[in-house]
Amino acid sequence: MNAQVESWLSRRKWILVALGLPILVAAWWAFRPEKLWINEKVSEPAPFASNSDPQPRYTGLLEGKAHQTSGRATIYKTSDGKQYLRLTDFTTSNGPDVHVLLGRGDDENLKEEIVKGQLDSVELGSLKGNQGDQNYDLPTSVELQKYNSVVIYCERFHAVFGVARLEQF
Amino acid sequence: MVRNIKTALGLAALAFAFGSHPTVYAQDSMQHESKTKTLGTGTFHGKVHSTSGRATIYQEEDGKLVLRLTNFKTSNGPDVHVILIAVKDADDDANFLKSGVERVELGALKGNEGDQNYEIPSGTDLNKFKTVSIYCERFNANFGAAPLEKF
Repeated sequence: MNAQVESWLSRRKWILVALGLPILVAAWWAFRPEKLWINEKVSEPAPFASNSDPQPRYTGLLEGKAHQTSGRATIYKTSDGKQYLRLTDFTTSNGPDVHVLLGRGDDENLKEEIVKGQLDSVELGSLKGNQGDQNYDLPTSVELQKYNSVVIYCERFHAVFGVARLEQF
Repeated sequence: MVRNIKTALGLAALAFAFGSHPTVYAQDSMQHESKTKTLGTGTFHGKVHSTSGRATIYQEEDGKLVLRLTNFKTSNGPDVHVILIAVKDADDDANFLKSGVERVELGALKGNEGDQNYEIPSGTDLNKFKTVSIYCERFNANFGAAPLEKF
């Protein structure tokens, strides 16, 4: 039995090869397994007219905490190296002594509506308006890796109005 | 009687002063008005084929729409395309052929890593097609999806 199969195999080897090869090629074409190890890296420039425009670096959406707050927070870098925060489609409730801060995303205080401990933050200034587009200059040496959240904060009542977690643009 | 009314009015005024905070509207412009507008942006999620990065739609001065992928990374694969889909979001490996999801083809994926731009056909309704998908046409599988939100 075994010998018979073996002799058949040796006699028909070319048939097996002829049948097997297209199957292998088809399987390769379908799965392209080599692509698991081969990366194709591209690097196209941004579709901006010029690079003198401020470039967005980080962005995030505001989420309401103690008061309903919404909109987008984006940090731009200008061509001369300065950075600023811009709020767009922004709306929050008006209140006394409301400030814009950068806070740490891992800060437990920001999970609550009212801050009980000491808030580790970078001050950007008083909120210019509770609605509308607005810009805030960032201090020159601010660690955005660490202070990666925008906080709308009522200093008088230690109330977190809203928080935006910034993500790389 | 009159005194009661006065007290009531005073209390009402006090309550109004404390309770209502009039809207203050700010309107700063961009620090250099860019001619290219950013319409929407979102981040990719996809675990099975680990896809990450950001998708942003720009409108150029002449009205042309461009999708740009940045910090982008996905797994390489056969016949992978970039498409816009008419759903809010998509799961890993979702089959859009089976579920009959409407789509707009933007072209074959140029590379599985890096920054890249794709032209969006003029007349594409971005209110309808508001999610970007990295889609393997050969196996009809969604590698990763990025729901776009207004910028």
